[in-house]
Amino acid sequence: MSTENLTFTEKFDLLGCIQCGRCTGGCPVTVRTNLNVRRFVYDAYHEEKLEELAKLAEIWDCTACHTCAVRCPKGLKPLEVLLGLRSMLVDSGKVQASVRNALESVYLEGNPWEKPKATRYDWMEGLDVKIAEPDTPVENLFFVCCTIAYDPRVQVIAKNLVRLLNQAGVNYGFIAEGESCCGSEVFTLGEELLFEEIVENNTEFLNEFKAGRIVALSPHCFTTFKDRYPDLNKPVIHYTQLLAELLEQGKLSWKDGLPKKIVFHDPCYLGKQSGVFDEPRRLLRSIDGAELVEFERSRERSLCCEGGGGKMWVESESKKERLAETRIKDAHDLGAQIVAVACPFCVLTLEDAMKSLGYEEEMRVAEMMELLGELV
Amino acid sequence: MKTFVCIKYVPDTSEAEVKVNADGTSVDSSRFSFDINDADNYAVEEAVQIQEKHGGTVTVLSIGPKESEVMIRMAMAKGCDNAIRVEDGRIASFDPLMVAKVLAAAIKGQEFDLVLTGCMAADDGQMATGVALAEELGVPHAAMVKKVEILDGKVRAHRELEGGLLEVVELTLPAVLTIQTGINEPRYAPIRGIRAAQKKELKVVNLDDLGLPASEVDAGASKIVLEKLYIPEVVSSAEFIEGEPEEKAEKLASILVKGGLV
Repeated sequence: MSTENLTFTEKFDLLGCIQCGRCTGGCPVTVRTNLNVRRFVYDAYHEEKLEELAKLAEIWDCTACHTCAVRCPKGLKPLEVLLGLRSMLVDSGKVQASVRNALESVYLEGNPWEKPKATRYDWMEGLDVKIAEPDTPVENLFFVCCTIAYDPRVQVIAKNLVRLLNQAGVNYGFIAEGESCCGSEVFTLGEELLFEEIVENNTEFLNEFKAGRIVALSPHCFTTFKDRYPDLNKPVIHYTQLLAELLEQGKLSWKDGLPKKIVFHDPCYLGKQSGVFDEPRRLLRSIDGAELVEFERSRERSLCCEGGGGKMWVESESKKERLAETRIKDAHDLGAQIVAVACPFCVLTLEDAMKSLGYEEEMRVAEMMELLGELV
Repeated sequence: MKTFVCIKYVPDTSEAEVKVNADGTSVDSSRFSFDINDADNYAVEEAVQIQEKHGGTVTVLSIGPKESEVMIRMAMAKGCDNAIRVEDGRIASFDPLMVAKVLAAAIKGQEFDLVLTGCMAADDGQMATGVALAEELGVPHAAMVKKVEILDGKVRAHRELEGGLLEVVELTLPAVLTIQTGINEPRYAPIRGIRAAQKKELKVVNLDDLGLPASEVDAGASKIVLEKLYIPEVVSSAEFIEGEPEEKAEKLASILVKGGLV
């Protein structure tokens, strides 16, 4: 259904809101910013106020963690009101330079990191990667997130995964031409029409592959494909789900143990938005010597790292403690030696927080694939 | 105000590995991303802001391949009204004087008050096209402009000079201004605007359409001969001075004196 001609109130079902306050009560950023999403849902009902609301800095504080949507008893998505206001600003062209550059880069180069299309597959160099061809059937078609493809810090996720898949004898293929941003961050930055184009192009491109399913490396791509690509002709899973399957089938074995205290941080897009909580934990428990501990705020209540919602390109004005720092302090209090995550954005934000807190000697932030890759 | 804004489609070589092709006179651009030249992006924004404040029209002018049309449409999405793209393989595009002649031929015969260009192209860094264009058009110019004020029949330009000085000059219109980066904050070209820009006129012309004989702007006409491109050799001659602080100081002082540096 086209939402082009709906009013703001109709599009976000604002009249469905009962102003109960479940959204604001769960919003993680309220401890450090003035964002009050309930207020926005209330005020946005007045169409004449929209332009004014779109100018408020708080609309950029939302991390699109979806806690408000998970908690809303009416099934509304309060955060999308903020994204709708961002759209108004984006359509006027008056957004901050970092947002402009990220969006233009997605439009021109298919990634938000201002990197050339042609270098997207450089991470594969020196690896025995099986390449998927549209006409050749493959069980697992892998989709590599832009951040994993280009950022040297997290390329290890894809590299280690390839080694593990080869060892486990998995039928798989990676895309070596035509892979392009899933649009997750384009959607949350409010560029609705670009997101529509991306969905259309990627759907056509991915549907051509004769694949059993798509396996996404990032929870952001995973959730976006699953929830916002209505015409995709194959199911989508996250790589931790595939590895949990392989573990069950006895196809994974670790050459070493890892006698460390590990705490798993549930990424918002994997956990509360997609319900994948147990698979990463099962994988960690399968490692000899690994002692898995839990955050007080875990699973659906996991504390957002502030890496989503386009926040990689928007700095909050707040000088209060970052949520990633709060999270790392919690891990430190638990005596965790490793903070394990399953999302490239969480790696970047949490590791940054760990370094700024000076805990580098005592603990480590690692993506699941970094840990598992060291054991194959 | 009738404004022309000249833009160039350039590779982003900031992080890319640059390789010279086997012919020795061209660069392998297969792994580059291309976009509007940075300074030209500011010129587009300035042109649109002038139009928003003073009315009139803005025409985008560019010499470049078909692929550069995405950049032209993005400029039109920001508010430019129409565009001319010149494509002709005969143009000696490595020579700013030849490029200026072609741009001038596209502008001449039309009414204009202001021509904006970026002050420098990110690929060749010549900083010459805008100034040469003013000469070709026979109008005054100001280069490296950081602030523009439109007056009655004139423009006041604040230009950046060496040593951090700012020079304020007034020019009679029509005039050419080459725009320095940082003059404004270029806006985003939203997809809604890019779609609307598909309906705006984008004329594609060659030298014949411009009535410009190729012999005036081709490699034969250029005074520049491109002989060879090469990656500058990285050489290192660092010397580490060892010893106690007093000894180090003495050795350092002796090196400086011998080298004629003090």
